[in-house]
Amino acid sequence: MHERLSFYVKRDSVIHSLNPLTKVYLTLSLILITFTSPWYWTPHLLVLIAIIPLGLIGKVGVEFFKAAIRLILPAAGFLFLMQAFFQPLGEDVIFKFYFLDVTQESMMFAFRNAMRVFVMVSAFTFLLLTTHPSELMSDLSRRGLPGQFAYVIISTLQILPQMQAKAQTIIAAQRSRGLDTESSFLKRMGLLTPLIGPLVFSSLAEVEERAIAIEARGFTSKRPKTSLHQIPDTKFDSTLRGVLILLVILSIALKLWLS
Amino acid sequence: MAFVNLQNVTYKYPLTKTPVLQNINLQIQEGEFVSVVGPNGAGKSTLCYTLAGFVPHFFKGEISGSIEVAGMESSKSTLDEWVMNVGLAFQNPFNQISGAKYTVFEEIAFGLENTGVPRDEIKVRVDEAMRLTDITDLADRSPYSLSGGQQQRVALTSILVMQPKLLVLDEPTSQMDPIGTREVFSVIRKLAEGGMTVVMVEHKMEWIANFADRVIALKDGQILLEGKPNEVLTSDVLAENGFGLSRYTSTAREAKKQGLWKKENLPVTLDEAVKGFKK
Repeated sequence: MHERLSFYVKRDSVIHSLNPLTKVYLTLSLILITFTSPWYWTPHLLVLIAIIPLGLIGKVGVEFFKAAIRLILPAAGFLFLMQAFFQPLGEDVIFKFYFLDVTQESMMFAFRNAMRVFVMVSAFTFLLLTTHPSELMSDLSRRGLPGQFAYVIISTLQILPQMQAKAQTIIAAQRSRGLDTESSFLKRMGLLTPLIGPLVFSSLAEVEERAIAIEARGFTSKRPKTSLHQIPDTKFDSTLRGVLILLVILSIALKLWLS
Repeated sequence: MAFVNLQNVTYKYPLTKTPVLQNINLQIQEGEFVSVVGPNGAGKSTLCYTLAGFVPHFFKGEISGSIEVAGMESSKSTLDEWVMNVGLAFQNPFNQISGAKYTVFEEIAFGLENTGVPRDEIKVRVDEAMRLTDITDLADRSPYSLSGGQQQRVALTSILVMQPKLLVLDEPTSQMDPIGTREVFSVIRKLAEGGMTVVMVEHKMEWIANFADRVIALKDGQILLEGKPNEVLTSDVLAENGFGLSRYTSTAREAKKQGLWKKENLPVTLDEAVKGFKK
């Protein structure tokens, strides 16, 4: 069984039954507010009042926690360290590390930026966990996104894992014929180069056949398209989207007004 | 007038030197099940593309002669119109999976969504088509997780669900086991009896003999022989031109040379061979 490139977790929750576009709005507004709000503690607060509750309501707490531990926290932590050490801010040195000074200001600055990144990546993770990519794309095409564009996004998500599997097959086949996999990294890279040709060219050849196949199924038909799945879009969705837009505008306005 | 009517069709791909199809004249009646045989490079797939409108609407190149299918004239119509009347499924099932869908059910519905069939009707038609080809149990699987034979069935079903008037199949059973092949042939036979016109490229001679109404033998882009399966598939012309014969035909041919096969006609299927040798 091939793995597919999707983080979607199928659950039965309020969040899952929201319109996909509402979830995109939610994600984007979280990010925008985090980056524009003039108040120092906004990112930290958003984690507490938005990211964590949303994960729980969406019943993806466990998956979210795993992603946070493995991916988001290390990235944010690294950013924190870099900025704490290298930001030449303030005078109030907390401690010295050889020639690097860590000041209270640089700590504060780094902490906020790390939290901003944490919120941004978390918001996207949350979107990916609760939104099926094909649902999002069919909702967007219903709203006027060109079908070709949606197709490119979705098929890439599906075809990349297939290409990966094919690359594995080619490597396994070459290995069984004595391809060197034990020597130094550089030497192996040199040996792998001839394998890339077949992979790329065979994939290109497939494109034509796939184009015929989807064309035979009316892909570029001029008729108005329909969709198998009914995508929910309730009054609540549109209200929520309105509120989110207002919050973003408010945040940007405050920032402009206060600075 | 014939349902499919090709008159003096000659076609050359943009990058080839010699024409792939040369002076093809072919008439097919509505509801007929025609099988096309021929060695590699004979132009079978190109003939399929021509019937399905992809030559010349998708592949450029030079074409002459007239092509009429289901009342449409090639030079006066668009690929969009052809797609609504002619269904095409071809050999490699992997490349026929759209990649846009996550389950087999959605995959089969893809063509109906594209052509604007209402939602409720889509569900009914997909269910019906999946029952026909016996893949109902695959409905929720990912199309990429299936075996080659299962993918071929999905590809075939994805076309059948669009209810084409002419069904063009290019080796649709190449990755199926004998049981799967028999089922697919029976389904296609049934559809032809229901009025669908079928053109099928196939190498499995025994199955053609059992199911098709007519056989066309293609070589080097020309129609070499045409007629009833039993006559064409046992003809000496085919044997001399490097066509693969069924194992029963080959055996009986050899036996005839040694005087062991007494009948006039050679067999194509096991049944015919058994009967012939008993006499």
